[in-house]
Formats: sequence, structure tokens, C-alpha cells
Amino acid sequence: MKWRKDDLQQYVQAKEYIDTILLPLIPIQLSKDDQAEKYASQAEVMHILANEIEKELTGRIMLAPSYHYLNSADKNTEIHRLKMWAEDMKEQPFSQIVHITFDSGWKKHEKDINDNLLWIPAVQAGEINSKEMHRIIRDQVGQTAELIRSYWQ
Amino acid sequence: MSDEKQQVSRRQFLNYTLTGVGGFMAAGLLISPIRMAVDPVLKDSSAGDLANVGLAVEDITSEPQRIDWSVNQVDGWYESEVNRSAWVYRNDDDEIVAFSPICKHLGCVVSWEGSEQHPNEYFCPCHDGRYYKDGTNVPGTPPLAPLDEYEQEVRDGMLFLGDARPRGEA
Repeated sequence: MKWRKDDLQQYVQAKEYIDTILLPLIPIQLSKDDQAEKYASQAEVMHILANEIEKELTGRIMLAPSYHYLNSADKNTEIHRLKMWAEDMKEQPFSQIVHITFDSGWKKHEKDINDNLLWIPAVQAGEINSKEMHRIIRDQVGQTAELIRSYWQ
Repeated sequence: MSDEKQQVSRRQFLNYTLTGVGGFMAAGLLISPIRMAVDPVLKDSSAGDLANVGLAVEDITSEPQRIDWSVNQVDGWYESEVNRSAWVYRNDDDEIVAFSPICKHLGCVVSWEGSEQHPNEYFCPCHDGRYYKDGTNVPGTPPLAPLDEYEQEVRDGMLFLGDARPRGEA
């Protein structure tokens, strides 16, 4: 399920089957030329990745709107906001929230996030539409979906 | 001007030019609505187009195999390349069957023998939905309908697949 009108309609009908939220954490920073490009490309890849994972596991996952934050921002403040998101989401019968990110900065704060955190090393393979990139992303999708499935066992 | 040469009178000349110009203007006004009215007939429909999925017919065995291909799809605002997948095998009557991997329960992707506990069945990882080899849903598991089947055609020994249709309509 995606954050779309049609999917939400379906979600309301089938709540009990959809118990996992996939929440991409995406850093942004426009102030520095060299980094802006990097963050944009990572964000693009993350969108594709999250969408593909959702496609594999549509019937049990809700892909939440991405959580964007300034890369320079203090993680503790962000965690506070994230918790508010989580609190609100768990008003619905979701048993887990899986945060997925390329930003290793979250790893240090993993304990403070009460839910799952999947940190994936970012791939910098240049051209996003290349065959190579497709293969890498397919691979990551497969493995990540596998991991999420293991949470369900 | 001499009298013999005056075969077109001033009045006639004006008439001709006015009719001519008027005709052009009328044609200019009419031509676009006519083109628009005719347009839907000229456009070839994209539905029902079969795509070469890059699988030779002789490579299809009785063991279902997953194939992936992509088609162009116009979807509201944008035209995009959409990836499609299918599970293809030869059934007992030696017919080629191509199933859509989309689970009929809530749309996850099923895989052939996706679970070790359920050999010889399609398995949906989301809610343990299962389908027999012929695509029929296993009673007592979440899905309530058999897997969709692709329209298919064999041309020059290659498999072509179209749109997935619910069974019974295909």
C-alpha cells in the first residue's frame, strides 16, 4: 500500500492484514553545492528502492510518506519528531515500523528509535537508469524484502 | 484594357475571390473539429498489444519459471516503462500457461515453491496464501480467486504476452 487515496481506501477495508509500516528517512541539504547532488541522488535511489520493496510486499506493508530532515540537524530532535509520527501511526493496528535509510548517522541512535532501523550502504554507481544500477537495486530489494519477511516470522 | 480581353467582369472577379477566401476560412474552421471527431478512430489502441518477453518456446518446461519484461504504459500524467513478471510453464496438456505473480488477496508477489513447507505450490510471503500449480487458490488460505492468466501468443518460436486477465475471462 502506498500513501495514495486508492490504496488508503483499500487499507481501511483490510486493516488487519497490513501490519508493517515502511518509513524511508531521507536527509536533505541544499546549502553546500557538492553535497546537495549527493543527497539528491541518494534520495532518488531511496524512492526507487522503497517503491520496489512495497511492490513485492504490497499486501502487508504500508509505505509511509518519506521523512525528510536536514542532514545537519540534531538527531535527537529528529528522533523526538519521529516518535510522534510513530505514535500516531500506531493508533492503527500496525505492529511494527521499519525505518529504512542510507544515512549511517542513525545507526548511533538506533537504541532510541523503538522500532526497526534498516541502514543500507548507499550505492554510488552513477547513472540511475543504467543496467548496472537496475541490477544492484533489484538485488538490494530482494535482500531487504527477505529481511522484512524475517521480522514477520 | 481592350474589350476583347475583358472575359471576367469586375463583378464576377469579386465574386470569385470572395467565395474563394470565404471557402478557405470555412475550411480552416471546420478542419480541426473534423480531425478531432475522427481522431479516436485513427488511434490504434494500446490495449491487447502483446510484447515479446524474450523466452523461446522450447525453453518452457513443466517447471514454472519466472520471467521479467517491460512495457510502455501511459498512466494519467506520465508515460513510463512498467516492469511485468510472469510464471510460465507447460501444463499436462502441453499448453503454455503464464500466470501473473500478483496475489489475489492483497497484491503481494507470489513465487513458485516460495516456502519449503509447501512444495509444488505458489506461495505468497505476506499472509501465507497458496496456489496449486494450475493457479487455483488453495482453500483455507487468504486468497479467494485463482491467479490471473496472461493473454499469450507464440510467434516465430518466441512467447508473446499481453495483459493479465482473471481466469474464466481469458
